[in-house]
Amino acid sequence: MKTIELFKNLRLLALLFGAITIVSCSDDDDAAPEEENELEVITNVSLVFTNTADATDVVTVSAVDPDGEGIQGLQEDNTAITLSLNATYRLSFVILNALDLDDVEDIGEEIEEEDDEHQFFFSFTQDAFVNPTGDGNVDTASDPINYEDEDDNGNPLGLSTTWTTGATPVAGGNFTARLQHQPDVKTATSGANDGDTDFNLSFVLNIQ
Amino acid sequence: MKLKLLVLYILLGSSLWVSAQSVSCIYSVSGKVLDMDTNEPVPNAVVQVDGVEKYTTTDFNGNFKIDGLCSETNTLIFSSIGYADSREEHDHGADFRFYLKQEVTGLEEVTIEAERAKQKGTKTIAQVTVGKTEIANNSTQSLAAVLSKQQGVTFISTGNNVQLPVIHGLYGNRILVLNNSLKHGFQNWGTDHAPEIDITSANSITVIKGAAGVRYGPEALGGAIVVEPNPLLLNNPLNGKLGTGYETNGRGYNANFKIEQGTENWSYYANGKYIRVGDRQAPNYNLTNTGKEESAFGLGALYHLDKWDFKVHYSFVDQNLAVLRASFVSSPEAIRRAFNAETPEPANSLSYSINPPNQATQHHLGKAEINWWYSETGKLTLIGGVQLNKRDEFDVRRNSELPIIDLDLLTYDYQLEWKHPKWKGLDGLIGVQYFSQNNDNNPGTQTTPFIPNYNTDRFSAFAVESLDFGKNTLEAGIRFDFETNDVRGRETNQDIFRDNYSFTNFTASLGYVRQLSENSIFRSNLGSAWRTPNVAELFSFGQEGFRLIYGMLRYTETDGPIPIDTSEVTLLEESDVEPERGVKFINELEINKNGNSHNLTVYSHYIENFIFDRPIGVSGTIRGPTTAFIYNQVDALFLGMDYSWRRAWTKQISGTFGINYLWSRNIGDNEPLINQPPISTSYELQWDQGKWWVFDSSKWSIRPSYTFEQFQAPRTVTIGSLIDGTSLLTPDAEIFDFTDPPEGYFLLDLSWNLSWNNLSAGIRVQNLLNTSYRDYLNELRYFADEPGRNLIFSLNYQFKSKKAMK
Repeated sequence: MKTIELFKNLRLLALLFGAITIVSCSDDDDAAPEEENELEVITNVSLVFTNTADATDVVTVSAVDPDGEGIQGLQEDNTAITLSLNATYRLSFVILNALDLDDVEDIGEEIEEEDDEHQFFFSFTQDAFVNPTGDGNVDTASDPINYEDEDDNGNPLGLSTTWTTGATPVAGGNFTARLQHQPDVKTATSGANDGDTDFNLSFVLNIQ
Repeated sequence: MKLKLLVLYILLGSSLWVSAQSVSCIYSVSGKVLDMDTNEPVPNAVVQVDGVEKYTTTDFNGNFKIDGLCSETNTLIFSSIGYADSREEHDHGADFRFYLKQEVTGLEEVTIEAERAKQKGTKTIAQVTVGKTEIANNSTQSLAAVLSKQQGVTFISTGNNVQLPVIHGLYGNRILVLNNSLKHGFQNWGTDHAPEIDITSANSITVIKGAAGVRYGPEALGGAIVVEPNPLLLNNPLNGKLGTGYETNGRGYNANFKIEQGTENWSYYANGKYIRVGDRQAPNYNLTNTGKEESAFGLGALYHLDKWDFKVHYSFVDQNLAVLRASFVSSPEAIRRAFNAETPEPANSLSYSINPPNQATQHHLGKAEINWWYSETGKLTLIGGVQLNKRDEFDVRRNSELPIIDLDLLTYDYQLEWKHPKWKGLDGLIGVQYFSQNNDNNPGTQTTPFIPNYNTDRFSAFAVESLDFGKNTLEAGIRFDFETNDVRGRETNQDIFRDNYSFTNFTASLGYVRQLSENSIFRSNLGSAWRTPNVAELFSFGQEGFRLIYGMLRYTETDGPIPIDTSEVTLLEESDVEPERGVKFINELEINKNGNSHNLTVYSHYIENFIFDRPIGVSGTIRGPTTAFIYNQVDALFLGMDYSWRRAWTKQISGTFGINYLWSRNIGDNEPLINQPPISTSYELQWDQGKWWVFDSSKWSIRPSYTFEQFQAPRTVTIGSLIDGTSLLTPDAEIFDFTDPPEGYFLLDLSWNLSWNNLSAGIRVQNLLNTSYRDYLNELRYFADEPGRNLIFSLNYQFKSKKAMK
């Protein structure tokens, strides 16, 4: 009788261990996480000022974020924006994600595709330009900026803008370009504090 | 006065044992019956075992013992002339005290306070148990919030929905959460992941305040929280509970149910709950995006054979927790505003909708347990458990519909424990354990994985033995752990990195209990513990909630304008990272005399290579500038005490005073630590009105509490000075915080509970005075006040069939 019970008991234990062993044999993969395509990252921004009357007169300033999600942000280089007097410049942007040097992405194209969700805003030293006048539209969205492009709703985008300098020199001024991401926020009246800031870069401005 | 009945269910040990035959009637139950108010022994009380022809009376000192019981679980009925009726409560263990309440105004409900039998290996460690009634009264709260009324326990939080228990200044993966005897397998890192446990399914929750690593494993370095599930009673008539509630702050509503039944050989339970809360309100503004939605259910069954118990449990928790929108900012101006805001932005109108930032988690737990009483005093327990934790976190960003963190964590846990028969006076438990975790990132987050993929395997063996001699008990334990880790992750340029490392460790504990006199007990425990650095502490990378955080192997110091470089991963072997090692010495003195109960716990805890996260500065990302944190390792010392004093002022009114004090410091660098609990004190006055109007019972409580400012907080370096670069910091710079610690605050809570037949109802008021305050242990203290006044209404219906099913 006792032997039978013991046998019964052992059988139950064996059954349980068997069940556990089966569960434990689940696969123990050693795969790394899959490669992620960091759509959000902007590692390089260049502001390219091209004299509309002289295609060889190009002024470029840049900012670089060497580590994407890492601790460092976009850092402006130390060169100043130095423009000539009495000239008109077209400002265009080169915006890249160059984290993976074999697969550099043009974020500018993305912004163009999502033009109804983005807008560039600018601020600069008061009356540095003759056109636009004032100090830019970061503080007041309706202040003049010469946008050369617009989205499907007819609202300005800012990948292309024009800037006319006058006869008054500017030394050690300031020029700030800010890209706002405004999904479902962008309207004819939305401003530089609506939505989220993709970047906000400030450079020294000289006009001489 | 009439003879009244008092009913207790008693569970001895951790599981059930009822024998149909009389072959193994070897169990006994003993204890002491005391008057609840005077704490005097109650002589000549009749103690009867329900369903069995066994009874005894207490002796002159209130002691009783009943031998020859066939069941390890018994329902005891106490009766004594002049004492009141009760329907409470489950409690475990032998040699504990039963408090009878003197009957004053006829029928009334009594709270029975029986000291819970301590789990093997923790007998000498100060601990406290929260019972079913208190859990039921706080069913909409988090695990941590329910425990935080206990001395020495508080919680650290990220907003209103994520709350983690803190024991004596330690939290996260230094506090082991044992859910249904399995280590809760979840993303246990940082302060923004709370254990996904449905407290309404718990039968009791015990906080073990000392280093319990020997018994439970490495993560119990700072203590353990043991959540006991439904006890699956046999011979338990069909019974159940339906509950519902509403709360004004957040317009939250909830419902829950429980049903259980036990026959001679079978027992089962099922429970479920649903909670939805909208945006909370601080006294002066709305806290946009602070709602939550939570559902949970659980099932369990027991099959009982002569010497065997077979148990299975399954539970599921689904949470969607919103995080304060104002904690996410996108520009230097916005971050400056957010850290100094009068009103956090946005403060929209109230809504139930949950938008990014939020966390959606599902947790499945399955467990099988076999107990085999192979001899009269020996028992083997085999436990197998599997848990799947799926976590998605969403941030405010482009593609915010995609989770920024998307992890599946699969945990297996097997334990074999042998409670050996008494041998040379030694009573003990010997066990082996295999624990494995597999963490996988699901693709599609479009960002570098915050946590890498990893596999952890741990093999452990332990033994705890106790020895009684006279009025003394000695308890000692040793443990061996071997752990391997295999880590695979991505660097920012999406290159793969791999790391493999393993640790071997011995830990030991020694404890002593002495019954100093009839009314006083002294407990002392010295425990060592160790802990492998958590994967998050080593490898975390990037955005997590409102901040950036980098693990110890993800950054190196540089001379650049930003003092750390995060582009390279260091291998553990090549780093100077060490496992944490701690020694905790905890002493508890308990005195019950003349209606006064005093409990004083004093502890010191030294942790070598203590790992913590600290601010390092402000960093720019595409999502805007944000606060940046790093993990760091120092030698830390914690000294503290908890004191509570309960006094029955009259037969109906009793009060409990409590105070906690903790001094902690990074003694390696002689600096303060960050996020350590400040001094807090409270007084809870309870008035048990007894029968009132048509109600069978009416109970009031009022609880003023004061939490002090954290005087040991690190220096402040303002967010403004970090943004404009006037403050430059290195990882070696003295620790700082972005704001001063919040001022101390006074809160007043109130509750009123009524019962009428099978119905019970309660009203609780939190923050009655609608005080505006910020809590130092809330990570979102930088951005917004805590919620204001909250009225919580609850209604419960209990039913029980009269006959037990056969």
